[in-house]
Formats: sequence, C-alpha cells, structure tokens
Amino acid sequence: MSIDTQASTQAETGKRRLDSLTPNTKLILYAYAATAAVLLAGALLHPGFAGWASLRAMLIVASFIGFVAAGQMLVVLIGGIDLSIPWVLNSAAIVFTTAGLGQSGRLPYAIALALCVGAAVGLLNGLGVAWLGVPAVVMTLGLNGIMQGLSLGLSGGLTCSSCASYAPEPLRRLVQGDTQLLLWAAVAVFVTVLLSLTRFGRHVYAVGNSPRAAYLAGVPVRSVTVTLYTLSGVFAALAGITLVAYGGQASLGLGDPYLFESIAAVVVGGVSILGGRGHYIGVVAGSVTLVAIVTLLQAKQVPEYGRDIIYGLVILAILFTYGRDREHD
Amino acid sequence: MLMVSGVSKSFGGVKALRDASFAARPGEIHALAGENGAGKSTLIKVLCGVLRPDSGTVQTTGELATAFQELSLAPDLTVAENLFLHDPPRGRLGLVRRSVLAPRADELLRRFGVDYVDSRAVTADLSVAHRQIVELVRALATEPEILVLDEPTAALQESQVAWLAGHMRRLREQGCCVVFTSHRWREIEDLADRVTVFRNGSHVTTREKLGEAEAVTLMSGRSIDRTYPRLPPVPAGADRTLTVSGLRAGALREVSFDLHRGEVLGVGGLAGQGQADLFLALFGARRAAGGTIQLAGRPLRVRRPRDAIRAGIGIAYVPEDRKSEGLLLPMSVRDNLALGILDRLSSAGLVRRSAERAAVRSMVTQLGIVASRPMTQPVGTLSGGNQQKVLMGRWLLTDAEVLLLYDVTRGVDAATKHDFYQLIAQLAERGKAILLYSSETEEIAHLCHRVLVLREGRIAAELAGPVGDAEQIVAASMRERR
Amino acid sequence: MKQALLVLTGTYTTYLLVYTTSLGHLPTPFDYLSLLNTCLPLIFVAIGQSLVVLTGGIDLSVGGIMSLGIAIIAARGGTATAALTVLIICTACGVLNGLLVARGRIAPILTTLATLSIFSGLALRTLPVPGGSIDPGLRAVLTHPDVPTGLIWLGAAVGGWLVLRRTRFGMRIYAVGSDEAAARATGIPVVRVKVGVYGLCGLCCGIAAVLYVSATTSGDPNAGMPFILTSIAAVVVGGIAFTGGRGSALGAMAGAVALTLVTDVLFFAGIDPLYQSLFQGLFLVVAVLLGSGAVLAGNRRRAAA
Repeated sequence: MSIDTQASTQAETGKRRLDSLTPNTKLILYAYAATAAVLLAGALLHPGFAGWASLRAMLIVASFIGFVAAGQMLVVLIGGIDLSIPWVLNSAAIVFTTAGLGQSGRLPYAIALALCVGAAVGLLNGLGVAWLGVPAVVMTLGLNGIMQGLSLGLSGGLTCSSCASYAPEPLRRLVQGDTQLLLWAAVAVFVTVLLSLTRFGRHVYAVGNSPRAAYLAGVPVRSVTVTLYTLSGVFAALAGITLVAYGGQASLGLGDPYLFESIAAVVVGGVSILGGRGHYIGVVAGSVTLVAIVTLLQAKQVPEYGRDIIYGLVILAILFTYGRDREHD
Repeated sequence: MLMVSGVSKSFGGVKALRDASFAARPGEIHALAGENGAGKSTLIKVLCGVLRPDSGTVQTTGELATAFQELSLAPDLTVAENLFLHDPPRGRLGLVRRSVLAPRADELLRRFGVDYVDSRAVTADLSVAHRQIVELVRALATEPEILVLDEPTAALQESQVAWLAGHMRRLREQGCCVVFTSHRWREIEDLADRVTVFRNGSHVTTREKLGEAEAVTLMSGRSIDRTYPRLPPVPAGADRTLTVSGLRAGALREVSFDLHRGEVLGVGGLAGQGQADLFLALFGARRAAGGTIQLAGRPLRVRRPRDAIRAGIGIAYVPEDRKSEGLLLPMSVRDNLALGILDRLSSAGLVRRSAERAAVRSMVTQLGIVASRPMTQPVGTLSGGNQQKVLMGRWLLTDAEVLLLYDVTRGVDAATKHDFYQLIAQLAERGKAILLYSSETEEIAHLCHRVLVLREGRIAAELAGPVGDAEQIVAASMRERR
Repeated sequence: MKQALLVLTGTYTTYLLVYTTSLGHLPTPFDYLSLLNTCLPLIFVAIGQSLVVLTGGIDLSVGGIMSLGIAIIAARGGTATAALTVLIICTACGVLNGLLVARGRIAPILTTLATLSIFSGLALRTLPVPGGSIDPGLRAVLTHPDVPTGLIWLGAAVGGWLVLRRTRFGMRIYAVGSDEAAARATGIPVVRVKVGVYGLCGLCCGIAAVLYVSATTSGDPNAGMPFILTSIAAVVVGGIAFTGGRGSALGAMAGAVALTLVTDVLFFAGIDPLYQSLFQGLFLVVAVLLGSGAVLAGNRRRAAA
C-alpha cells in the first residue's frame, strides 16, 4: 500500500470514514473523546492526575458505577428505567455481610445468596413491567421502597449482631487489587458479547427500537424484558458485594448515589435514553468520565458544593454535545 | 388562495409526496381524491404546517383552519375548553370566565345546530362522532378564509354529513376556500366544484366534472402502462393450505375462505372494511374474537406472532401513512433480514456470523436489494422500495409457506413495483400460498387468482381472477346494500 | 382523578379503622391539622411535579430546588423577606429547567438530573451544615396558635390549581401534553408553555421550602432530596399519565395525602417504622394496579352501556 502524502486527500478519506461510521460507533467515539478531554484537563491542571497510580484508583472507583450502569443500560436499551438500584444494591450488601459473617469459608455461599437477592428483585421488576403492564418508573420505584423497608426492618436498622461483620478477607484483597479491574473487564466482555454477538442481543435492540415491529418479527418481547430487568438486579447486587468488600462493612444508604450516577454514566456513554441505541463500551467511558471529574475536583480541593455544581454543568455540556433528542418529524 | 408547488416528503425512505402540486381558489369546494396512501393526509399536514416538506413551497393567503382525521382535541379538557383553546373569554386578571365559557360554547354549538353535544362534558367521554363534530365546529367557528377537512365524514352518520355539507356550502358562498378529502365518492360528487386526484404522492389531474368510473381509473392508475406478469395457474387439486372459518377480529365480522398452495388470493374493498384486522388476526398480532384457522388440515391456534411464525406464516405489513411496522429502521439491513431466522443461525445462543452473512447476501442478491453496505447500513437509509424488499426478504428466509402481504407496494416507484409483481408470481409458482392486499385495486385485479371483496367486515363478493379490471372490484365494494 | 379518590378513600378508611382501634376514639381536629401540616410540603411539590408530568416531562430537580430554598431561608435568618426571595429564586431555577428542556431539546429526565446536581451544590454552598435559624414570625406560617393556617394553605393549593386550570395557560398545558405536534399545529406556543410549567414547578418547590422550614424550624441543605421520589410517587398514585395530557393535580394532592396517611396507619398499627418504606413501596404498586384495574373496568362498563 502506498502512502498518500496529499493532506487534503487524507482529510477527505478521513471524513468519508467518519461519515461511514454507524451512529452507534460515532457515539462511542464521542464518549471516549469526553473521557480524554476530562483526563487531559486533569493532567494539565493537576500534575500526576493521568499517571497510572491515579488512573488505577479512578478505574476501581469507576468500576462500581460500571456495574450498576451495566444493568441500567440494559433496561434503558428497551426504553425502560430501573429506579430500584439503590436498595437492591444496599440489600445485597447487607445480605452478603450477614451471610458471610467475615468467614472465608462462607464466601461462595454469601456471594451466591446476595446475587440471588438481586436476581429475584430484578425478576419481580421485569414481571411487573412486562406482564402486569405497570410503568417501569412505578414498578421499580415501588420495589426500591420495598427493598429499603425489608433491609432496614430485617436488619433492625443495621443493628443486628451479624450486620457489623466485615467482608471476608480474601474478597477484600481481591477487590482492592487488580482483580476488581479484571472483574470489570469480564463484565464488559460479557455485556458486549451478549449484546453484539448473540441472538438475545439482537432481540434487545429490536425491542428497543420498536417493540411493535419486534413483536411482529416474532421476538419474545416479554421474556426479553424480564431477562433484562433480572440482569439489572444482578448487576446492582454485584456492585453491592464489591462495594462492601472495598469498604469493609455494609452501611445504610450505600446505594443512594448510584441511582443517578448509573443514569448519567449510561447517557454520557452515548446510550439513547429513548432506547434502542448504545453499547457498553461507551458506558465504560461514561463511568470513567464521571469519576475523573469528581476526582479532579477533589484533587483541586474544590469543596463539595463546587463539585456538585461543576459536575452538573459538565453533564449538561456533554448532553448538549451529543445527548440531544433526534430532530422531530 | 392556497397553492402548493413541487412539494416532496419522505418518511424514512418511503416517499409520501413526490413533487406534488395543488391549488385551490376562494369560493370553491375542492375535493382531494385518491386511494389510501396516495398522499392526501400527508399533503394536508404539510398544508397546515404540522409537517415540514423536504422540498417545495406552500403559499396561503388568509386565516387557515384545519380539522384533522386523528382528532387534535385534548381528551381531558371539556368540550367548551377545547372549543375556546385559542381565545377563551377572559375577564379581569386574564382568568378564563368559566361562567361565560360554557354558555358561550353552548351558544356556539347551538349556532351550528349541534345542541345535542354537552359543552360541559369531558371530551374523552364523547363518542367518536361527537368528538369529530366538536373538532369540525372548532374549525368552522373561526370563520376562516381557507378551511381544510381531512376525512371529515368518516365517523359521521348520514344526517351529520348533511349538516356538514350545509356549512361547507355556506362558507363557499362567503368566499371561503374549502378543501376536503373523502372516501365516499357520492359526497365528492355532491359537494365538490372541482376534484383533484392524487396517486402515489403526485398530482394526477384537476377537473370540474369527473365521473366515478373515470375517477376510479385515475385513482387506481390504469392509465399508466403497467405490465403484469402472467400468473401460473393454480395446479388442479392443489392442497388447501389455510382454511379460515368464521373469523372475527376488530372490524372483521365474520370471514371464511380457503387458500391453496400456489394461489394468490386478493383481499379488496374500500379502506377500513376489516382488511388490516384480517391480516393481523391471521398472524396472531390481533386477538381473534371467534372463528377457527386450519393450516394444512390441522387446527392452528395463533395467540401471538411467534405461533404463526413457527407454523410457517410470514407477514409483510405496511400500514397507512406510516413507516413499515415490521422494520427496525435504525438497525442494519442484516439485522432486519436475519431477525426471523436467528434461531437457525445461532448455536448456543451465539449468532454464527458467516452463516448469517451468507444468508443475508443471498437474499440481497435474490431480491435485488440496493444497499451499499448491507451488513451495517441502517434500513431507514434505504429507499421505500428497498425497505419493503427487506421486509419480504425476512419472510422468504424463514421459508414461510403462507405469506400475508399487506400493501407491500405502497409508496414504491414503478420499477420496484414491477419487481414485486414478478416476485409474487414466482413465489406462487414455487407453491407458496399468498394473501394479498393492496391499496391499489389495480394490483389486486391483476395479480390474484381469486379476489375476496370485504365490506363492513364481511365478504361481500368473491370474484374469479385475474379480474383484470379494477372497476369490477370497486363496483363490488361500493354496491350499497339496501 | 377517579383512581386517586379511590385510593385516598381506601387509605382514609384504613386510617380511621386503625386509629380508632388503637386509641379508642375518632381522630380529633388537632390530629387532622397536624397530619395536614406534615403533608403540605409534599402536596406543593406534587402539584409542581404533576404540572410537568402533564406536559409529558418529569422533573428530578425538585429536590435540588427545594433544598436550595430551605438553605437560603435558614442561612438568612428565616425572615419573611428571605422567604419571598426564595420564591423568586426557585421560580428562576424552574424557568432555567424549562428553557433547557424546550429550547435545548434535551430529554427532561436528563436535563433535570444535571440541574439537580447544580441546585444541590448551590444549596450546600448556601448552608454547608444543617442548622441556621428561623424567625418565629415565619414559623407562624404553618403553626399559628389561633388560625388553622394549614387549612388556608391547602385551600390555596386547591384554589390555585382550580384557577390555573381555568386560565388559557392551564388549558394549553393539557393541549401540549395530549399531542405536542397537534398543539404546535393549532398555533400553541409550546416553548412558552413548557417554560411556564417548569417555572411554576419551581415556584411550588419554593412554597414547599417555606412550609418545610416553618414546620421543622431549622434548615438542612439536603432536606429536599426525599421529595424527588415521593413527589413522583404522589403523581403516580394520583393517576396522572406519564405520557402527558391526562390527569389532574388534585389527584396528585390526594396522592400526597394518601402517602402521608400510610405512614400514620403504620404508626397506629404499631408497625416498626423501619418497615415504613416497605409498605409505601407496596402501596405504590398496589395502588397503581388497583387504580388502573378499576379505571379499566369502568371504561369497559361505559363501553358496554
């Protein structure tokens, strides 16, 4: 292949290449451009910000958002929303500590139990939305309350004797090390393969683009919906387990920040809030962007109020760049 | 005065209007005639600014009022509020004077002779006919210089139609320009000073006198020289594939018929006589209220499309005034074509890419689908004809034995239409059983071995085909029962 | 509306039952008044939320606007001037939301998610820690020794809605929510209507902030946050459709009262307050299921008649 030295031709080729990208790919590029912009700004404003040590710390924090955002994205892809994430996460965290009792021997059992809690709540969400026709907002908001009540009530406001247990040691070591990043990579691969390479993935995008057309093509719309909500519950539980392992103990309100962060990560990651469009690869970038913004503001010792304000402004700016509604008619 | 010149409008590749022109003058009642999907509704939406045309210009002088076919009344407001949405009677502080609103609405309704509608009623509680009347009164009451009515009589009874006609004539005498559409030819003949015929999104002709027979010819487009393929005869003693008896669903009252292998069975009739319900019910997408379906002699229960697909039925459904309901426009040609055969193409849930690519390529070649990158290109970027080919291709890939083709040629250019005709004949020759509906009666007349004419949800006539003459079908569907 | 009344009647009956069996007498006027005072802030936020939902949107920033209002009043010594300033500032916050949604064409849920962060940041800047002081004069807004001020506020809420419902603007809210394209076609200024609606929602949050501080007599920069989800819950119970154009703010008010009653029912039934959200969540889902079922049955009866 000969090298074309004419700059204009190259630019043209580049432009054509950009035009030939599917809108999906373009949005992923935007999401990574946003991440790069934040990291670059960080590197300029705060020496060492984009260094490996700092980057690794940010990635670990971002992984928790990444987990919940994986679930949130799956339901957003079919035009739904999961508001039950905070207390599914929190209840899974409490179940995990109380079942694990800090003993390594009980670790597999505790993990399985916590994941089952997440799956069960997600299943209920899905059944309510798909079979009873309850709007997703209502169903997931209701179950969020139910899980909050159950978590608080059964643990006596987290005063039960086993509630104070620490996460079993082996898991704590893993989560605080590179294993957590490997786990996130595994989740990313799982979700990406699921959506891009499987029959199920095709069904998901079909339902997200038009439930009616998907139904007429023989897609089992209801079971797709139920599966996605169930997965969302599992991912929230996964975030709960790893958060406990990361912090040591379960606490009340552990999941509260993750509702809005999961939605923000999904949208900053280039997923359409109306459904049918987006990839998890973009959501990974979205999660990192959100954490990078907060980390940078913390590093510059911006007080909490300033962090909130700038965070909101940056998200608005990102929405203005590539999160707008498609033109009507 | 009202003038539209060179207007085009597409919906995701389906051309609803192509270079359409239309003019109406003050002091006339002007009817817009055309088959379903000829572009009348789209033209009206462009006229009043709901839709922005892709190209072309719209010129109007004077106040314009429109009454839409899909009602634009807010269901939760009262009739009085809807009537005065623009300029409610207001007192001091700008508050709407409730005490005046309802009486004034009553007065308005009385002035228009519709005192049987309660102005205090919540709009959602009214019957469709009464809602239509409120919508009409709202448009009439503005005393506009241009009045546009889209299918104003579809929901009305005879006496209510007479009421509307009176008001249209009165406005004409006052120098207003009245434009309306109707599916009932008698109304057009009674009311219109001039008739403009639309076909396929374009202006065909504007006449002062237009007989029904000629109008039908113009609307169905026989004047265009079109060659239809010769249908292979249905083999003598061909198996009955589909046996439908006493089917009721939606507007479908009771319908029974047989469909044989290698046969193309046409479903004709005026718009909205239950054709769509028939197709959707056979595919399990509309709940049947009664009746039985047998496939190859075995009873078949279709409660959802998946049941129909498993039994070997495929549907290509292009509803009125909308993008195809079967296609996922932002998704690729590949995704759309392969959606029906993913089970066959996947092992352990993973889609086998190479097998998929081969299947997609073969169908793209077989149907001559024009797409530069079928594996990634969104279907929405294709032309309407190619989109509809993709929809057909999906069901050809599933090897469906029974094909339900609902208006697959709508909004398609002549060359692609020709491709579709050839394809339908070939499929019949290969032994497929085809149920065909088209908004162009001409196609049903030429492409079908037999034609069922639906009227008010029942089979009003069965004609042996190829009928060859669209007017026979139209005549059979219009014949009034007395 | 039908759904909301049904749910409210059911909840109220349960309340009466549980109250009398637990205390041996019917609730006193004082009980009703204190109940009312408890739910007034939610009533106002719910009105604001329902206006937005009626246009087919959603406002997640109500929590931030209310927190900001509370923070400003508490930081300014809780005077009447501070309260009036807050009403203006909160309205401005709402107008900003409206402009971003209507002009910027960003989905309401995302716009208000971003502005929620901004408004709560501002609240935190105004009042970094809970506390501040509230002028006794302002406390009388809700707890006047001689006048049942709660009733006046409730009257103002109901009256305000009934008046709004009777303005041209009020009619246009429904027209926009029913079918935005049709509304635009009939010449309704959709952008102005939306900006007005989000502005009014901001004003409602401001009023809720004033009522909140006068009841709690202290400020908290995060006090508004719980109102995001509860206002949505009230709208849901009130039978307002998320697709817009259908429902009434009166329903949302009834929903807000019903949600508060549930808490009281749980209290008198002797249920551990830790389980409170469990029953509220159940209540939400069941209310919507029963409500839509009853409405469906009603429609069917009407269709058959």
